[in-house]
Amino acid sequence: MIRFEHVSKTYKNGTVALRDVSLNIDKGEFVFLVGASGSGKTTFLRLLLREELPDRGRILEAGRDVSKVSSWRVPYLRRNIGCIFQDFRLLPNKTVFENVAFALEVIGRPRTTIDSQVPQILELVGLTDKAGNRPSELSGGEQQRVAIARAFVNRPLILLADEPTGNLDPSNSESIMALLERINRTGTTVVMATHDKALVDRMRRRVIELDHGEIVRDQVRGVYGIDEPIGGR
Amino acid sequence: MRVYLRYAIRETLSNLWRNRLMTIAAVLTVAVSLSLVGAALLLKQSAAQASAQWQQGTRVTVWMEPTATGSELGNVRSQLESLPIVKNCVYYSQAQDYQEAKRILPTVEWSVLKVSDVPSSFRCVPTVPSNAFVVESTFANQPGVYKVTAPEQQIREMNRAIRILQIVFLVLAAVLLLSATVLILNTIRMAIFARRREVSVMKLVGATNWFIRIPYMTEGFIQGLLGSVVAIGAVTALHTWYPLHNEFVLSTGALMGTNAVVLIVGVLIGSVGSGLAIRRFLDV
Repeated sequence: MIRFEHVSKTYKNGTVALRDVSLNIDKGEFVFLVGASGSGKTTFLRLLLREELPDRGRILEAGRDVSKVSSWRVPYLRRNIGCIFQDFRLLPNKTVFENVAFALEVIGRPRTTIDSQVPQILELVGLTDKAGNRPSELSGGEQQRVAIARAFVNRPLILLADEPTGNLDPSNSESIMALLERINRTGTTVVMATHDKALVDRMRRRVIELDHGEIVRDQVRGVYGIDEPIGGR
Repeated sequence: MRVYLRYAIRETLSNLWRNRLMTIAAVLTVAVSLSLVGAALLLKQSAAQASAQWQQGTRVTVWMEPTATGSELGNVRSQLESLPIVKNCVYYSQAQDYQEAKRILPTVEWSVLKVSDVPSSFRCVPTVPSNAFVVESTFANQPGVYKVTAPEQQIREMNRAIRILQIVFLVLAAVLLLSATVLILNTIRMAIFARRREVSVMKLVGATNWFIRIPYMTEGFIQGLLGSVVAIGAVTALHTWYPLHNEFVLSTGALMGTNAVVLIVGVLIGSVGSGLAIRRFLDV
């Protein structure tokens, strides 16, 4: 589903974000991306969204070379990728329903699709009774679930999560993780960048660790592992 | 498509309403500047038409000295009659010119005139308006001739005045059009800024670039359009009521042409303003 072949990225100010990264993520995998701040996690996600282009190497998504997608086709590429963030990025003046509906509306889906899809996805994230509320009336965990609903309502092949639990307390983090697992079980590939040690350790999924733009670890059933001394695993 | 149309219309209208003060400012600036453009165009057309009308009836008048002798008079008369570029010469005697002066001049002036002070004159129509100058140069220095006058000069002077006025109008209009463009640009920039969250979400979920841009394009377009509609009203009013037009009657066709220019320029200004704002501030 996602394939990096010798990908390097250096920003204009000289910062090396990724250095010769090669990896392969299969369809339906659940991958944790860990590493210190500035290790290249965010660049990794931005490259997948084609907000950046690699300097060298190839990125394949669902068999397509991302660099070769012409700029006017990029929106169509992004329709296959859902995305959630630490800060939720909801629209404060729209209700929960409208926030989710917005994602379908702006890619030109007809009203009938919206009216059938949105309640369904709100049911999935467990927010049916909050459909008419504004984001400011919800807890952090609920807001993140709205964001997940918005990212997933178009049934993307890939879900990218950039520190989705960074602003949440442990119990809310749990419910978000449960939701992401559920989405993953539908066959969606999930890539999650995180600093949440306890979460990673408990989930026992594939862990890719980046350090100064290089992959230093790729474990199939890994743990967070950064705090431990080298070789102490 | 229908979904999109509904979305675009709703977004455009809500943007216009949200920024209504800026919208009014932009529309009024467009309107004022386009009214000036329209007025300048009308002025040019009516000036051209007026001078054409006047030239058709151009007369050249050879004024004789009041003291001119009979032979001098006869000499000028026979020369005028033999001149092929002049048709229809009419001789006005001193008494006739005195009567005319009485009609034209205010009482205080003609009352001091005596018939013997008044020049007699030959009123001629040249075959071609510009021949008035030939007549002037031929007769101006002949014995017994006081002066040769042709209204051609006045027409030229008036045309020059109109041209200057027109340039002033157009320069003013250009400055105002520029500020109208900047105002529209700024309105659109504010609209984009007010919706930056929406725009970033739209980009994230894969809305196409045109889908994101078009509401802002139409917003600028509508501002330009509204401005030119107001300006067309002003130009039409000017055409109908402005006193200048008692003398120069312009056809409806000329008015339509001017209004078409005003409309096109207005719409162009709106599109350019919003286009620049989108290029500069909406990076999709």
